[in-house]
Amino acid sequence: MTSATQSPTIEELESLVGRQFPGGTYDTEPWRVWLTNDVIGAPQRTDGIAHPMFCYYAAMAGLGISIDEMFTLCYASADDGPMFGECDIQQLRPLEIGATYTVRGEITSAVRKQGERTGTFDIVAFQLEVVAPDGEVSSVVSNSFIFPRRP
Amino acid sequence: MSTIPTPSVGDELPRLVIEAVDAEKMKTMAALLADSNPIHWDVDTVRELGMGDQPVNQGPNNLGYVMNMLGHWAGGAERIRHIRVRFLDNVFAGDRLEAGGKVTAVGDDGSVDCDVWLARDGDHPVLAGTATLLLG
Repeated sequence: MTSATQSPTIEELESLVGRQFPGGTYDTEPWRVWLTNDVIGAPQRTDGIAHPMFCYYAAMAGLGISIDEMFTLCYASADDGPMFGECDIQQLRPLEIGATYTVRGEITSAVRKQGERTGTFDIVAFQLEVVAPDGEVSSVVSNSFIFPRRP
Repeated sequence: MSTIPTPSVGDELPRLVIEAVDAEKMKTMAALLADSNPIHWDVDTVRELGMGDQPVNQGPNNLGYVMNMLGHWAGGAERIRHIRVRFLDNVFAGDRLEAGGKVTAVGDDGSVDCDVWLARDGDHPVLAGTATLLLG
């Protein structure tokens, strides 16, 4: 384990808003769908439709940076114990197995909070669009991470 | 998939029970997501962070259980159009979970709004939110 990351200033934190991710693509490969269904206990479907959690997985994997790089961007590391905050998924059109989706998005908010028990923490939210091969947006995913900040 | 339900406001959704969250599946998911956060597999890290002595389940897995509950009820998880949840607490390896929900609105267009939740050990909430499904 490494030591905890230095907390950002409010200005540094707020400067994250509007930051666009590089974006990229995500393949709903059958093997990946099978293993994911197995992990979350979802049925193995044969009609070519992916589980709606793939809206999330595609968005996160296709945003163009790793989760570690996301943490670094937010002045944190996995060793700081970041947690998932909120997750909002619009499934406009179910994702299909065996397709390649394009992902684009940006950081939409970054705020500092103070909890009585938890101390200081930051909440960073971002929105991602998962775009089907025909150019239609299949899903819009809005997530937030909570970053504990040590004094 | 199964039959499409005819819901009414106040209906309780059939609960989905996960008898014991499997630590090995957390490792598979960490690899699938390239998620290097050690709390999902390294018990020493979990202890150092004061989070207990069992690996912590990935938050998205917990959401997946709720989607499965909705999909079982609605006749297919593709009928979920919108879901918004807050992660209230951690889920650990070995935990017994129940996913459930309640119908809060039924639209003329076949849309159904629900409150949804996931609880640990019977009544400890670990996830809560709302979902909209299109059953028509």
